[in-house]
Amino acid sequence: MFGSISFDAMSSALDALSLRQRVIADNIANVQTPGYQAKRVEFEDALTAAVKHGSGTVKATTQTSLEPTREDGNNVNLDTETLSNIDTNLRYQLASQAVSGQFALIRAAMRSS
Amino acid sequence: MSVAPISAVVTSSVTPTAYVSSASPAGTAAAGATDGAFASTLASSVDSLQAMQANTDQLAVKAVTGNLSDVHDYTIAATESAVAMELTSTVRNRAVEAFNEIMRMQA
Amino acid sequence: MGTFGAIGIAGSALGTYRKWLDAVSDNLANVNTVRSTSETAFQARYIVAQANDSQGGDGGGVHVAGAAFGSAEGRIVYEPNNPLADADGNVRYPDIDMASQMTQLIMAQRGYQANAAVVDRAKELYTTALQIGRS
Repeated sequence: MFGSISFDAMSSALDALSLRQRVIADNIANVQTPGYQAKRVEFEDALTAAVKHGSGTVKATTQTSLEPTREDGNNVNLDTETLSNIDTNLRYQLASQAVSGQFALIRAAMRSS
Repeated sequence: MSVAPISAVVTSSVTPTAYVSSASPAGTAAAGATDGAFASTLASSVDSLQAMQANTDQLAVKAVTGNLSDVHDYTIAATESAVAMELTSTVRNRAVEAFNEIMRMQA
Repeated sequence: MGTFGAIGIAGSALGTYRKWLDAVSDNLANVNTVRSTSETAFQARYIVAQANDSQGGDGGGVHVAGAAFGSAEGRIVYEPNNPLADADGNVRYPDIDMASQMTQLIMAQRGYQANAAVVDRAKELYTTALQIGRS
């Protein structure tokens, strides 16, 4: 139930996606700051690997984007960040629904008798 | 911040199928080996419930004062507390029903 | 930054871009401000943006680190009929390039809008989080 791999995986995903949302906000806030390097959050590969090995808990990592910089030294790509922002939102909603669904299942099971 | 599982609440003497089946009195009677064991199990569940609720309250304060970086930590903990509470309450109700049923049988 | 961190980060950017918009508007408004040669020309104002320290992923955003100023010499223009003209008939115009200011205006506006969109999306995300378990 609550200690299951799926619950841990959703919980880790929520943490990672929330961090990604903040990182995207930081990138977009600094879209014109000279010398600023865009940051990226990685967790998908680690989570897939962890689930294969029977665990659901991973920690997200933050890295610097390797995209080429413009002449002011800034490498934030506004279109990439915008799409990533929307993607992150939708995935966060999905993970939230998955977690809520697990709770609802338990509540329904209790009520059925 | 990781969310602790509530496996401590559902102890080994109460299996999930015991309280979700419609023949619940028999199920719960079979699950609780002796009165003493069940009572102490329930008592320790209530303790962990209080610990969970305390954790939830703490997270709520952190969220409201702007110190909680992931707001879903609070909502998940709150839901876990609520469901754990409902779980414990259901188990207690079933136990009482089963006890009354058995008393009626003996009378 | 706190519980709803992304909103605070985008908020810092909104402030910075608004200051940039103000500076560019001011420059454009004064593109024809004449001064006599005994004074400095109207100097264009440039905002210097600097990223905030993001302490372990929880901070972030941007702030205005200071302002840079354009040339104080400006352009010397021969306008003998101007009441501010000196003995040679020269006045000082600011050294402001309209085209580059307009480009900056568009960039500042785009940055402002992008961050306003971030606030909206962050609000959606946090609202979703608050709905967990409420059925």
